[in-house]
Amino acid sequence: MGFNLTVNGDRLTSAADPATPLVDILREEMHLTGAKPVCREGFCGACLVLLDGEPTPSCLLPAALADGREIRTVEGLAPQGTLNCIQAALEDSDAVQCGMCFPGMVVSLTHLLTTRPDATRDDILMALTGNICRCTGYERIVEATLLALATA
Amino acid sequence: MSDVSATMDLRRRDAADKLRGRTRYTIDRYLPGMLHAAVLRATAPAGRIIRLDTSRAARMPGVRAIVTAADAPGMIGIGIADHPLFARDVIRYDGEPLAAVAAATLAQAQAALAAIDVEIEPFPAVLTMADALASGAPLVHPDWRSYEVLLEGSARGGNVAWEATVVRGDVDAAFARPDVEIVESCFRVGRQNHVAFEPRAVVASYEDGRFHIETSTQVPWSVRNATARLLGVPASQVRVTVPPVGGGFGLKFDLAVEPFAALLARASGRPVRLVNSREEEMLTCLFRENADIRIRSAVTRAGDIVGREAVVLMDCGAYGGEQIFLTTMTAHTLGGNYRLGSVRMVSRAVYTNTAPNGAFRCCNGVYNTFALERHTDEIAARIGMDPLAFRRRNVLGDKDLGATGQVFEGDVLGPMLERMDTLRDAAAPPPARTDGRLYGRATTVGTWFVFVGPSAATVNMNADGTATLVTSGVEIGSGSMMQSLPQIVASTLGIAPEHVIVRAADTDAAGYDVGVGGGRTTVSLGAASLSAAQEVRTKLLKVASEMIEAAPDDLVMRDGRIEIAGAPGSGRTVAEVATRAQALAGPVSGTGAFTGAGVPAMPGCVAGHFIDAIDIPVFAVHDCEVAVDPETGHVEVLSYRVVQDVGRALNPRAIHGQIQGGVVQGLGYALHEEVTIGSNGRVCQSGFETYRVPLALDVVPVEIDLYEGAPSIGPLGTKGAGEVPILNVGAAVACAVANATGKCVQALPLTPPRVLELLLDRMQDLTLPHIADAWTDNLTRSHQTAPKT
Repeated sequence: MGFNLTVNGDRLTSAADPATPLVDILREEMHLTGAKPVCREGFCGACLVLLDGEPTPSCLLPAALADGREIRTVEGLAPQGTLNCIQAALEDSDAVQCGMCFPGMVVSLTHLLTTRPDATRDDILMALTGNICRCTGYERIVEATLLALATA
Repeated sequence: MSDVSATMDLRRRDAADKLRGRTRYTIDRYLPGMLHAAVLRATAPAGRIIRLDTSRAARMPGVRAIVTAADAPGMIGIGIADHPLFARDVIRYDGEPLAAVAAATLAQAQAALAAIDVEIEPFPAVLTMADALASGAPLVHPDWRSYEVLLEGSARGGNVAWEATVVRGDVDAAFARPDVEIVESCFRVGRQNHVAFEPRAVVASYEDGRFHIETSTQVPWSVRNATARLLGVPASQVRVTVPPVGGGFGLKFDLAVEPFAALLARASGRPVRLVNSREEEMLTCLFRENADIRIRSAVTRAGDIVGREAVVLMDCGAYGGEQIFLTTMTAHTLGGNYRLGSVRMVSRAVYTNTAPNGAFRCCNGVYNTFALERHTDEIAARIGMDPLAFRRRNVLGDKDLGATGQVFEGDVLGPMLERMDTLRDAAAPPPARTDGRLYGRATTVGTWFVFVGPSAATVNMNADGTATLVTSGVEIGSGSMMQSLPQIVASTLGIAPEHVIVRAADTDAAGYDVGVGGGRTTVSLGAASLSAAQEVRTKLLKVASEMIEAAPDDLVMRDGRIEIAGAPGSGRTVAEVATRAQALAGPVSGTGAFTGAGVPAMPGCVAGHFIDAIDIPVFAVHDCEVAVDPETGHVEVLSYRVVQDVGRALNPRAIHGQIQGGVVQGLGYALHEEVTIGSNGRVCQSGFETYRVPLALDVVPVEIDLYEGAPSIGPLGTKGAGEVPILNVGAAVACAVANATGKCVQALPLTPPRVLELLLDRMQDLTLPHIADAWTDNLTRSHQTAPKT
């Protein structure tokens, strides 16, 4: 029994119940606590991971269904010790407050930057619709994304 | 001496790890051997526990400990100790804890909860304040007289948990004057959920006869003291440490789930993790309370407010908690902003069989400002005066008296209104409006305060030229612990803010602190930190003066050096001086302490108040423009502007971030965040599907002007800046919608159905029959200022 997961390039085996939400496997077995189980209903976006490159809520995905697919978590978006383009822009813009939503924000925006280099302000707002932030009022995040698009 | 401007706009040191998912919040802490806990909660709003049998659950797989009311003998509260940890015999709200279980896995703990045999005899419940205040209503606390009183001087009785009054001048005479218009307004607001992204969470262990509580809180010392009180152990046996906190907004300004985990850790001998589910957070949140407000004013046709009276009912839910304190704040919020010839207000915290309410950013200031500003617009309309002109005429200025008779210093609100005029006039004119929507705008003012109170700080000067700041402050997301505090210490010592190490809160390491909230971090912790850093500075300068052979007064600390003023590059590095000082007399450190000085009120004005006057008032002017769709009732906010009194901005960029975030939280409150309670006594909104918080597409960039220079006792002239941005958002949106539609806005949130009802004249005029017509008939006892003991 058990299933295999490829997370941030590492191949791992889990013996957990295959229906366990992916977010719990990531956090409790693999110690990747970046993804946050904030609502567990797919509304907030704080647990987003890239599944074969697509932002996916890891709270709604039975872990075994990720077998054979490439999972990238917020911890694996930039080489060790560095920040990717959107992470650097968010840091430069002083966008971060409590930080709980940012792992999911970074996943969404990393995807936007790689797939939509021509994104406008409205496109950014649309892309963030699945990511709730309770602290910042979003504006800094939008500014940082525009900055990242301009400098990418 | 302190060149704090050298460190302006310091970036946060915690951002990079938060952006990489490396930050370990309390919910991310997993200890070896840790058990998982779950709490059994009542499923009736009122009743008596006939039977609670845990013996079957105790035999379930993986179960290591079960605790119940017998394990927690104490009672806690603010003003009165009315709150046990578990329901004992009486159940007072749906969701009240009955027992807690620790097991090897969360699934096992939850399975054990289901195996606890519970039998409850339901009682009739009072779910609304109207129910609670009806004659013959069942009492939520039949034994209210037996509770320990923690602060004397309040009236209370029956379902009135606490009553605070303010009376200044002869209000009856003012209302009887022949030359006044009497304007009366009624308002109602619902609850607001903080939706902190990190739920309330704790990991507790029991080591060497002491509890170690690692928790997501704003108030480590309150958790320490209240846990000890509930468990019946000395407070010194409880140590509280706080990892980075994933959002607070006041939710975590009170004890939460910590004592359950502490009890289970002691009973099992293992670390215990307890994290609220999102549903528990939604249903048992310490909400911003729902409230009913009636306000009457006697106003001359020239525009003077000669008399004002008000009744504010705030629903505290099943236990008094924060609302007991908040009865104090009505005098300063609903009684704020404007000069009043005479005033009387009563603020009553009312028990109901609903989940307890708590503190939320600007607390009752948000809805009292909504009520006051809508009322102000109704006054201006009645006497035919422009609402802005009325405000300019009446806002509090230098030497004006507040409601409780405190004397305000400085003209602040007047100049702030002028700044708003400038900001508004500089905006591009709106495009032609031909889409059939209704347009309106409003400018509102608000008064809030900094919750000063005790703070302690220690600065340890390290021989390598860095300094370690030790406080009980918590980083909740506002950045104060990452930005303003290291800025203050660094500028005092002339070192880079990156060289100030900030110790995370640990009640074993740092002195008492009221907590992070109420806009007090930069002010109170900042003042204590400044004082501690100044002591270090004095010691270093003394040693440096011997090394450099110059008088201490001739020396400056800058760029990591202590040198002769006017001679850059002279002198020694801070590290060299610190090393020398350490060799001469041991390591250098300094301590600092702060508390509010206490501003006097007028004798006899207040009764049942926790504070008589506000040490540091904070003012805000907001301007909002809306478009209302007459077909759907949807309100779109087109522009939003804020002029905020900040005293002095140490980190303007950080303050701008707080204002944008606070305004957006307020927009949710004003427009769509709605909490309702079903006939079963349960909150209806159990998740994000039904509780609608603002999304990226809902918001506008806020235009901001920071007003500096108002008097403040805060360090370097600062005031708290993170709490107040939400203060007048409900007011500004409501006044703008009223102006757009020409309808009387009496309630928030302005959801599309509610706005449509207004537009179609189907909204019934709000009446509050549980507020007696004669002001004095609303008092449990007549206003009297009993001597405080």
